[in-house]
Amino acid sequence: MRILSLASPSPWARALNRFTRNNAAVFGVVLLVPLLVCVLSYPLWLGHLPNDIDLAAMNAGPGGAHLFGTDGVGRDILARTLEGGRISLLVAVASVALSTTIGFLVGALAAFGGRWADAATMRAVDLAMTLPPVIFLLVLASIFGSGICSTVLVIALLSWPVLSRMIRARLMELREREFVMASRGMGAGTWHLLFRHGLPNSVDVLVVYAALQIAAAILLEAGLSFLGLGVPPPAASWGNMLNAARSTVVLEQYPWQWLFPGAALVLAVLAINFIGDGLRDAFDPRSDLN
Amino acid sequence: MKFDKTVKAFAIVAALLGATTLASSAQDVSAISGGFDVGPGGFQGNFNPLAATSGFTWLSNYLEPLVIYDAKLESIVGALASSYTVSPDQLTYTFNLADAAWHDGEAFTSADVKFTLGLAQNDKTGSVFAARLGSIAAIDTPDDKTVVITLSAPSAGFLDALTKVMQLPEHALTSVPAEELAKSAWWSTTPIGTGPFKFVKYETDQYVELAANPDYRLGKPAVDQLINRYFENPAAAISALRAGEIQFTYVDSNDVATFAGDAAFQVIEGQSYVTNYIGFNNELDLWKDVRVRQAIMHAINRDAIIESLYGGAARPANCGYVSEQLVPEGINPYGYDPEKARQLLAEAGWDQINGDKPITILTYYGTPLAANVLAAIQAMLAEVGVNIVPRVVDTPAYNAIVYADPLKPEEFPLVYAGLQNGPEPSNINIGLNEAQIPPAGSNFLHVRTPELTAALDAAMAELDPAARNGKYAEVCRVMNETLPWGTMWVASRYGVASSSLTDFVWTPAPAGGPFAAHPEAWKISK
Amino acid sequence: MFRYVSRRLLIGLGMLVALTVLTFILLQLTPGDPIDAYVDPNVSMSQAELDALRARLGLDRALPMQYLAWLGQAIQGNLGYSLQRQSEPVLGLIVARLGPTLLLMGTGLAVAIVVGISAGIISAVRSNTAADYSLSVVALLGISSPAFLTALLGLYVFSVRLKWLPSGGMLTPAASFSVADLVQHLILPAVLLSIGHAAMIMRYMRSSLLEVLNQDYVRTARAKGVREFWVITKHAVRNALLPVVTLIGSTIGLAIGGAIFIESVFNWPGMGLLLVNAVEVRDYPVIMAATLVVGAFVIVVNILTDLTYLVIDPRIKVS
Repeated sequence: MRILSLASPSPWARALNRFTRNNAAVFGVVLLVPLLVCVLSYPLWLGHLPNDIDLAAMNAGPGGAHLFGTDGVGRDILARTLEGGRISLLVAVASVALSTTIGFLVGALAAFGGRWADAATMRAVDLAMTLPPVIFLLVLASIFGSGICSTVLVIALLSWPVLSRMIRARLMELREREFVMASRGMGAGTWHLLFRHGLPNSVDVLVVYAALQIAAAILLEAGLSFLGLGVPPPAASWGNMLNAARSTVVLEQYPWQWLFPGAALVLAVLAINFIGDGLRDAFDPRSDLN
Repeated sequence: MKFDKTVKAFAIVAALLGATTLASSAQDVSAISGGFDVGPGGFQGNFNPLAATSGFTWLSNYLEPLVIYDAKLESIVGALASSYTVSPDQLTYTFNLADAAWHDGEAFTSADVKFTLGLAQNDKTGSVFAARLGSIAAIDTPDDKTVVITLSAPSAGFLDALTKVMQLPEHALTSVPAEELAKSAWWSTTPIGTGPFKFVKYETDQYVELAANPDYRLGKPAVDQLINRYFENPAAAISALRAGEIQFTYVDSNDVATFAGDAAFQVIEGQSYVTNYIGFNNELDLWKDVRVRQAIMHAINRDAIIESLYGGAARPANCGYVSEQLVPEGINPYGYDPEKARQLLAEAGWDQINGDKPITILTYYGTPLAANVLAAIQAMLAEVGVNIVPRVVDTPAYNAIVYADPLKPEEFPLVYAGLQNGPEPSNINIGLNEAQIPPAGSNFLHVRTPELTAALDAAMAELDPAARNGKYAEVCRVMNETLPWGTMWVASRYGVASSSLTDFVWTPAPAGGPFAAHPEAWKISK
Repeated sequence: MFRYVSRRLLIGLGMLVALTVLTFILLQLTPGDPIDAYVDPNVSMSQAELDALRARLGLDRALPMQYLAWLGQAIQGNLGYSLQRQSEPVLGLIVARLGPTLLLMGTGLAVAIVVGISAGIISAVRSNTAADYSLSVVALLGISSPAFLTALLGLYVFSVRLKWLPSGGMLTPAASFSVADLVQHLILPAVLLSIGHAAMIMRYMRSSLLEVLNQDYVRTARAKGVREFWVITKHAVRNALLPVVTLIGSTIGLAIGGAIFIESVFNWPGMGLLLVNAVEVRDYPVIMAATLVVGAFVIVVNILTDLTYLVIDPRIKVS
């Protein structure tokens, strides 16, 4: 009971409290952390490397030397699933970092730049959202080629418009608040306003967006690789391992080659979605009422 | 309330499903359906034979050329020309035409042949044959059933080019201006040919339907309908084949395993006539020393790749050809010998030339098989100290890179590609002859080997058919020695047909052929 | 109101033109042109032959000229011919694909809306119970699985193994048209398509309804003694629908672009596949026309969505 404490907990502490009491969010963490540990540490304890081919042991089923079986050139599926986790997560995190930055800056430009900047920026955002994602995706992938950097770029360019809208709304709301007007009155410049006041007060939007967008980016990378764009083999990514399932032989006779990366992908995305939801509820003070 | 609605919905769906099973069991016409345009030999949605770079298997069901390859792709036999003779100096070709009628009843005459060849030579019509038929000097039609074609210079590939020129009716097309021909709706709505089947309709992007032509010169077809279904990719076609919705399709080689041993299907295997090779970009100093190229050949265990990844369905190529009559005795088999490869690389000073810096190998092959093959090659080359990095792009990007003007050779130091090497052996000239460096030809690797160019020129100029094989064998020997390419193998391609089909003929010909499949003889049993 | 709509339409028209310019520029940046795509690299043609083909198709003109020529024709309603298959008019291709796309997306979205909204309401009303938890987990699974994986699994289980439903296409070829045949081909792709959308709609509905149920006016209605059923359906749901309508609106807008994965796996002749194929072979006229059509559709749907707000909540003023 907190009746006698004189200092009330900070908003961060309250958010953390709400998060830890959210069963689903905790479950997500419990699911994700071991996965992350395995993915990051596998060279220390797994004997196989993800790119070691072994033509004598092609398409072997799970068990024995290869816990998850082998693929079409004899590479260990467990090693590739873990390596694929690294690459898929890397692509997702990098693209989210990039799209968050772009989205924040564009939203800030719209909110603080004046009426013309606002109108022009929002029209540009509308344009980006009207362009059919299929075309944008395919054309960008053709231009940048396939590869980790290109995939990061493509995913980032597809995701930033949504964030810029939310940031713009939040910053415009903040602009009217008294402490901002006071700062301006004291001569604060735009950059100062943005990074000293705007950014900290948008963190909840940013964090929730980032968490959910990481999940979306993992799925988007899988989709890109399924279409043959995205991360190219022989590098392993969950998406391009699932691409193998396009062949009927693999789909039916060697299910371990796509079931394991598929399950890993679904689990990771599920866990991240749980965590993202938990973060959203944690930052929303009204969720205490539910 | 919601429960009631759900129950009702289920009931309706169940009733509909029941009704459809009853409806689909009634079939009074015999029809053969297939994915005839699936795979590399097909060209879905193209109905204009003048603009066709492939898809001839399907087109030859309702259109016919003057001459055609036999089903084994070994010799050229007559189709609409019942016989033909070639003058000793190889400049005059005389064709005697068969008794045939167009699908609208009009007779097929030499005027149609002259008209068709005129269209094919005119690039305003969008014809892709204009250059290949450029050696035609004159076309004479002494009577309705004879055509005499005079060439300005002997051309080894002339008959091969003629097999792809589908004859078109003068009376139907003469009124269409040449520039409008490519855009005409005639091709996909009411085309007229002389073949065993008549065009009925084209459902946009779905399927094409043909009906039997009872007046066909070789007899009425055994089945009433032929249907060509379009598929997004071979996997969708395979699903349809397994579900019994079609009776034939092209199948990727690693999907053949699902049908092997299944009595309900027959697997058809044929040579692809495409040599897969690792191409060395001659504009870069990396590959100047022949020892480096030899080392690469020795470092790759081709037999292991063929055995495990191709399932044995490929023949190792030590030059551009694999057919026995074109491969001389005693050429270097470049057996798998990584120790020798390292030795050769050391002798050539590979560490100074490149060391283990990554080298891009560009390819347009995007299938899982190709990805596995490249992964295997990459691992094998890494063993001897050559570090390659596969880069897969789609066909237009590939063509844009290798034919770029100005050329950037550092973007494609190596390529993994294929070139058609048959059934007409002169087909590889365009990729290896120094005179065929772009824009004149397709020698985008800028191969400049005088010995090879001389051998190719000699073979193309050889007039005596008996001596030609010997000349091409010489080409093979030179290729094997000078290694302009690291030739890998010639793979087999496959089709799978339902066992309910009898007398069904298909071969995985490059570009779809055409070849004498005799579709009028195909039968389907229930 | 009229002024608002006409102003939006005018802005929309401007955006359409900007969209086509953007698409044109993107296409020019893409490596390779239609002729590069036309030729199988295994069976080569000389560059001279290819350049002749390019000249015939007008691909060697200056870029702004090519764009303006296209725009001039497009305004008059002539969208040109496909470069890959030159006897196919582009408009015909697009119209042939619009019907199946609308059918697939319409059915899929209808199913998704019904299932999503009902599940969302149940979940919110019975929040924090077993029903809520199980529905939420199912919804999360729905949005966490890649669409193509569920499509492949569905195809494999229901079509290849159980042989209950056809493996692809829209109708049985060369058979006379029947609604039953169409439904048979439609069920599997539409249901698989609806999974992802139903999950999203359910989550939005749930969170929105939960928020509304805490509002004062709901408490007032309950205090007045209104039956719980009417409280929920007549008062709460109506107000909770707003963000869901936004979501549905943007989903419909994107829907016309087709669902590439489902169409690819089931060989459904929709706009998605048309676009993917056209980009693969750099078929510029088809890509430009398809972008135009899809862009116009998105803009119109956005306007309609905003108008729907007025119906649902008269407090909203469109500014």
